[in-house]
Amino acid sequence: MSHNTQTATNTGFSFQVSGTWGAYWVAMLRVLTGWWFFHSGIGKILDSGLSYGYASVYLDGMGGTTLGPIATFLAGYPDIVGAMVPLFETLIGLALIAGLLTRLASFGGVIFMSLFWVGNAEFGHGLVNSDLMGMLLFITMIVFAAGRYYGLDAFVEKLSFVQNNPKLKYLLG
Amino acid sequence: MTDTIDKLAMYLSGGLLLLGVVVSGLIEVLAGHPYGAAPQTNEAGEVIASPAIDPNIRTALVVAALLVMLLYAIYKLATPIEEETGAAATASTSD
Repeated sequence: MSHNTQTATNTGFSFQVSGTWGAYWVAMLRVLTGWWFFHSGIGKILDSGLSYGYASVYLDGMGGTTLGPIATFLAGYPDIVGAMVPLFETLIGLALIAGLLTRLASFGGVIFMSLFWVGNAEFGHGLVNSDLMGMLLFITMIVFAAGRYYGLDAFVEKLSFVQNNPKLKYLLG
Repeated sequence: MTDTIDKLAMYLSGGLLLLGVVVSGLIEVLAGHPYGAAPQTNEAGEVIASPAIDPNIRTALVVAALLVMLLYAIYKLATPIEEETGAAATASTSD
């Protein structure tokens, strides 16, 4: 992106994740968010392997919500979603903990959290609940390229293969 | 061109997010009970106050904001990477 990071906010203050505490905290957020998903996924795998039956039930119950058409369509494939949910939760978690393919994994996290947020549509504690906050965390991982701070993406992005294909940074980072 | 699309994506997605969460939330509060997105029920479980704005509208606004961000991401993937200008030429989080 063509811009000058020193004046990115137009307020006289620069905004970079170069400070010790800023980079440290972005990395902490990444690892903790990763553990959250990894724990959720591995728990399902240990309980029921790759056949998490509640996934299609949950999606089927999303009829009438904003994402209802997509969710009920997915619910028609219980075997696939029953395998994908625990598998991708685990992989997304591992990717964030390691800081590898962070942006791609976080994109998956946004998909998951969108379905959780819209699906848990009771909103008894308000529209801004922990599901929405989780979704915002994943977007934050993407925006700040969280894998570059104490993560493997920092090394992977320096490989000649990535240097020659810089768009891969949109999946790494 | 890129800066224009950057700003468009930021303003549009940010505007939709704020509209779906903050502005409509403020309207809910000003409209009185139940002050939020969930209906208010009595001890018998009967609904005694419904939200002024259908929660589906509010979630749709947020999902629309996510779609704007997704379209921006696709745009970034589809267009050539521009060299960064200015004093700080190091890798930034935006690339």
